[in-house]
Amino acid sequence: MSKLVLKFESSVLQEVAVGQKEVSVGRSPDNGIVIDNPAVSNYHARIFIEEGRLMLQDFGSLNGTFVNGQRVKMIMLKPGDSIAIGKHTLVVTDSVEVRARSLDYVEAKAAVPKINETVMLDTKDRREFLEKVAAVGESAQPAPGRLKIPTLVVRNGNTDRSEYALNDKLTVVGKSAMATVKLQGWFKPKAAAQINRKEDNTYYIGAADKTPSVNGEKITHPTKLASGDLIEVAGVELEFVVRD
Amino acid sequence: MEFGARSDSGRVRGNNEDSFRLAPELGLFVLSDGMGGLQAGEVASKLAVDTIVAHCTQAAADPSLATFGKHIEGVSDTCNRLASAVRLANTEIYEHAKNQGNKATMGATVVVLCFVEDRVCIAHVGDSRAYLLRSGSFDQLTEDHSFVAEQVRRGMLTVEEASRSKMHNVLTRALGIDPQVDVDVTEELLMDGDVYVVCSDGLFRELTTAQITGVLEETDDPQRAASRLVDLANEAGGGDNITVIVLRNSPKSSRPFAKIGRWFKGPDDGKESE
Repeated sequence: MSKLVLKFESSVLQEVAVGQKEVSVGRSPDNGIVIDNPAVSNYHARIFIEEGRLMLQDFGSLNGTFVNGQRVKMIMLKPGDSIAIGKHTLVVTDSVEVRARSLDYVEAKAAVPKINETVMLDTKDRREFLEKVAAVGESAQPAPGRLKIPTLVVRNGNTDRSEYALNDKLTVVGKSAMATVKLQGWFKPKAAAQINRKEDNTYYIGAADKTPSVNGEKITHPTKLASGDLIEVAGVELEFVVRD
Repeated sequence: MEFGARSDSGRVRGNNEDSFRLAPELGLFVLSDGMGGLQAGEVASKLAVDTIVAHCTQAAADPSLATFGKHIEGVSDTCNRLASAVRLANTEIYEHAKNQGNKATMGATVVVLCFVEDRVCIAHVGDSRAYLLRSGSFDQLTEDHSFVAEQVRRGMLTVEEASRSKMHNVLTRALGIDPQVDVDVTEELLMDGDVYVVCSDGLFRELTTAQITGVLEETDDPQRAASRLVDLANEAGGGDNITVIVLRNSPKSSRPFAKIGRWFKGPDDGKESE
């Protein structure tokens, strides 16, 4: 970040970043940079960004503002410039970056108001938009009432039940307390495999501690399930069934 | 679970409207990006994270604590608890804004991750995101509640058109705007080596997913990863506040029975050697 470094002789007193807000300098405590010295006016000068340029303006102070030894009223600042106010010095650092960034900001602002600022669609627009979206959504997705919930039917192996309705977003096959398909036996993994329900109501099986097979083939990535698929994992066989 | 986090105002904004809170004792990690002028954004995001942590802390002490809002079917109780906490946060911010006499409308996004048993539960509103890096693939676990994302989901815009849209900053859902809010919840099986990234839009607007995964793969230390990601986003422009939480489910710490497993498998077998 671009900075103004306030120094008294060789010691650094303060560092102030110059952003969109101007930085005022003076003796009054409400300035961005306060220099408590009788040689400094209450509101002595300000440093601000205009059209992407870092500028300094002297407010007609009694004792003046000096940039690199020259008394100034209004001047564009460059990196390394030294601003003398009374016995204090303000050093401009990193100002190339100030210019680049602030220019971006100004341009972005001109193109689209508040480009970087997150805003909420206002209530009326939002309502209209969501209604439109709902209309599109209805044609693309089956209504919830017509959704078929698939079942896992246990064909082989020790589980706590003989079949499981896949109601959940995440169905875990394993010994874990939160597993839906509970495996029984000492050496069964906590989570052998997982089945995820996606937003479009499709189901994918994925590996966990074990890599399941679907119809006799080890899966290499989450695999979409179709009715009749036979899953084998951790010594159990499960059939994925979508009933009409 | 190892974790690290960092928040930075970026290079353009003078203030930081993001908030985050880590409550590892609850397995709870919360991030919020506030909006609204005159410090309203800062207040909103802080209210969001504080309310959520408070509700979950209370629920941990008293599991019978009432949940706020309707029960969501098909997800765990933890997901429902998170949804309850997020709805409470919505009410808090909404009421706070109302008490300010509507002078400053305030809002906030939120992403909450809660690790419990074998899974991670996620609740979110707005366009802050959670990602998962698992076996080399980096996936976004949350769907943005933004104008652009909504249009893509409904096939009204292609991904290509969306990337050129100038409406990225426009949200369709946020906390504190309406008296009620719809909370999205989802859950994932927690696996060895999983790396979760929770971030505000200040990160993913500046960096590509390849840049993000690059950082996650170059260091195992979540705090270093979080700091590096913030630095990179700043180098890329830092146009907005940047907040990142990185969580790593390291293979060694996750299993109480890992040692027993090793006796059976031999010392150099399986994922332990990663």
